[in-house]
Amino acid sequence: MNYQILGNNYQRKDGIGKVTGSETYTSDVILPRMWHARVLRSPYAHARIISIDQTAAKALGAVVLTYADVPHLKYNERIVSIPPHLFRDRTVLADKARHVGEAVAAVAAPTEQLAEKALRALKIEWEILPHYTDPADAQSENAEPIHDAVLLNGEMKPIENNVAVARTVNVGNVDEGFEHADFIFEREYLTSRIYHAQMETKSCVCDPASDGSITVYPTTQSIHNTRQLLGEIFNIPLHKVNVKRVAIGGTFGSSIQMNSIIPICVALALKAKHPVKLVSTREEDMYDHVRYQTKLKLKIGVTRDGKITAGHIQALADVGGHNIQAYALLSVLAGWSASLYKFPHLRFEGKAVYTNKTPSCAMQGFGNPQATFAMESLTDEIAHELELDPIEFKLKNYVGLGGTFWGQGPSVQSIIRSDGVPQLLHDGAQKIGWRARPKAGTQTGRYRHGIGMARGFHTSGAGAPKPGEVIDYSGAFIKINEDGTVDVVHAMMDHGGGTLEAIAKIVAEELGVPIENVGISPADTLTTVYDVVTHATRGVYAGGGAAHKAALKVKQQIFEYASRVLELQADSLVIEPDYELRQGVIYCPNFPERRITLGALAKQLQINSWGTMAAVESLRQVNCPPAFVTYFIDLTVDTETGHVTTNRAVIGSDCGTVVNPAMAIGQLEGGLSKGVGYALVEDNQWDAQTGQLTSKGFWIDGKTPAISEAPFNENIITHFSDTYEPSGPFGAKGIGEAATNPCAAAYANALYNALGIRFTELPITAEKILRALNAEENREARVEMREMEAMAVMQAAE
Amino acid sequence: MTPKLVKLNVNGRAHHTALAPNTTLLHALRDLGYTDVKSGCEKGDCGACGVIVNGAVVNSCLLLAWLADNQEIITVAGLGAAAKPHPLQQAFVDFGAAQCGFCTPGMIMSAKALLDEYPHPTDEQMREALSGNLCRCTGYTRIFEAVQNAAHEITSD
Repeated sequence: MNYQILGNNYQRKDGIGKVTGSETYTSDVILPRMWHARVLRSPYAHARIISIDQTAAKALGAVVLTYADVPHLKYNERIVSIPPHLFRDRTVLADKARHVGEAVAAVAAPTEQLAEKALRALKIEWEILPHYTDPADAQSENAEPIHDAVLLNGEMKPIENNVAVARTVNVGNVDEGFEHADFIFEREYLTSRIYHAQMETKSCVCDPASDGSITVYPTTQSIHNTRQLLGEIFNIPLHKVNVKRVAIGGTFGSSIQMNSIIPICVALALKAKHPVKLVSTREEDMYDHVRYQTKLKLKIGVTRDGKITAGHIQALADVGGHNIQAYALLSVLAGWSASLYKFPHLRFEGKAVYTNKTPSCAMQGFGNPQATFAMESLTDEIAHELELDPIEFKLKNYVGLGGTFWGQGPSVQSIIRSDGVPQLLHDGAQKIGWRARPKAGTQTGRYRHGIGMARGFHTSGAGAPKPGEVIDYSGAFIKINEDGTVDVVHAMMDHGGGTLEAIAKIVAEELGVPIENVGISPADTLTTVYDVVTHATRGVYAGGGAAHKAALKVKQQIFEYASRVLELQADSLVIEPDYELRQGVIYCPNFPERRITLGALAKQLQINSWGTMAAVESLRQVNCPPAFVTYFIDLTVDTETGHVTTNRAVIGSDCGTVVNPAMAIGQLEGGLSKGVGYALVEDNQWDAQTGQLTSKGFWIDGKTPAISEAPFNENIITHFSDTYEPSGPFGAKGIGEAATNPCAAAYANALYNALGIRFTELPITAEKILRALNAEENREARVEMREMEAMAVMQAAE
Repeated sequence: MTPKLVKLNVNGRAHHTALAPNTTLLHALRDLGYTDVKSGCEKGDCGACGVIVNGAVVNSCLLLAWLADNQEIITVAGLGAAAKPHPLQQAFVDFGAAQCGFCTPGMIMSAKALLDEYPHPTDEQMREALSGNLCRCTGYTRIFEAVQNAAHEITSD
């Protein structure tokens, strides 16, 4: 396909603002008469509030809120799931603390210093309750309930044994499937609770007006969902709730929901009758979100020649103190598993359990890094045991072209219509030197070298032919200005990956105008149509799809008006960018001399009072095409220190048509960085005795990779498949979240190749590697000892 | 906590401001309107608040504003603006080194201090100079490339 604009690199529209520091993030919003807020957070993992003495704080001139002062409506911050699957268990301020750092009171005062003083003046009396950091303990028979009941679809649902939700999915008859297997493999995997570590902490500014309306500047991935939930909680009609899009300093899923600090800020502003700013400290932010820690027990049956016959997956997810989307997590754990390989028979049993820790939420890949780590580790092991090349095994069993892909659990499925996996595996294997890799476990000496691979995907959006358990559609409004430039009014958030840049390009391509002439308008909920949220790698595919649909409508209008002016049939016209005129030019290829620029046409419309060329469209994509990714990792292990060095990483992406080449590469490199952290170092630990986060809010204790640890530059090789997704805008599908999903398994498999040891628990730290090497040595020594003893016995017998 | 009148010279402009002894330079600068200085952790973990004080890059969250009295402070906005960006700023745009952009001001200031000292830095010097600045989006490759290219751009002028 030849495109005028797609596939080329341009300076990003928000780039210069970011490098000169003029981009405005939530914490940079300053309003006249603005007050500042601080939040009182629980020092205990599980504790009931007996009393809060506000006298001293109020005497300082602060506004104070506790549970008694805020609406008691139970909400769920992520209103992406439809009401029957939306588990609502929290209130604006908590009636009891369910984890360290839970917000139980809040203050606002004219200055930050005064707010801090007022916060410290609050006196709170606690009744400390037993707490649980391990899901196994939380489920024990006499465990103290973390939640008694939650609100589900308008009714209170009792919670038993602290099980937030359980879900079983069956495909075929799994017992029958295992009967057909020649071999059955079983393994248990455990993933870590990593912190999103987005650069900007969660923040909010709320500006209340005298007519009862509010204007909100939040860190969020969805301005519309934030608006709707605020409207519901505070009982304000939606036309009086305006949520503005402001730049966000990274998110990676941490702001998929309306963040818990947002309604606190709104409640304070309504009470103070002043604009209020609430900026989380880093420590507070670390009490707000982590990736779901998941234990996955996999059982896979295969035939002698390497065909999968059945799979049985048991998942136990650690929810933390609040259930943000555990039902959806279990759904996607089943879905990603079912979509990784062709299981003729599959059984998934998932359970998600409350603990007294930071609530878990989606993080880049939502359940996919966990599922893919387990599945790609075990299939690598199966291939080795069957003496098959893992690539051959994968190609034989993976779900590709024509297969069914579960984009968001069992209720969101569509048929795969583009598949770059064979090409990516072939090219990746060549680039890494797959055939020349060492034979696993044969090396001795201090430094051992290994090559491993894994593959995976992420969905592009959560659209499907039928309405699913999650909401998925976008909207766009496009208008042609009187000089031929274009305004794109779109509610979607750009987290920095270039989603809005891609949308601008898609519009420019369809309208045939230079990219410089397309502007992305500032957005708020009053002036945009609904977009669900930037998540599920849906930005380009679904958000871009909606913009494309609107652009097609506008283009029709352009040709109709131009046909009047040029006196040519509308159907005979084309429009193309003219870079000298810096305009889109409309003409008929048969009569190229009869032409008009889009600017001249728009001006003519105005002079003739014909109206504005504009269209607004909503779009639900009816597919959820997988964006495939392949990983090949070449590493060296220092067996004396356990240190792992990445020599090369080869990352292949099938994102359909590559809209933003440089930014697509940036997504893959960023995915690798977060993937390496997940695979080897990152973790957040809780002290079981005290229920405290052991890092106490120190970010680097979580081991976010710095430039000194990250593999980069010439060591990273990225490549793309030549695919075209028929359902996507100009053949495009997603990329972002896919970029990280197979990374941890590729490292685990490369470590196996180097050391002959399988690692099943993340992160695979230097300490764990050393421990495993020592255990291996001891085992070898014991075997040797037994052999010597046996020899001695035999000699004695002789 | 009696405030004291402090003179902060920021990007060539003098500000006389009364500050309490526990005010960090980060807060003092942001309160003066220098919101280009980002607050990422206030613990010295992330480097987002990096500014140059008397030629050396510091985490402004770890420096008490009183200690910057009468000192020369440069923030990222002081390097260049949209009309005339500094070569480092231009390179960060050209090489896709800024995604969400929140680490960018601090990252650029660390790079600026590095290039002021070593106009032709080695890879190791670059890694060390930027090791105190976290970025969660890019994986650092584009940042490394941008700084390399800016160094080339600056020295070839």
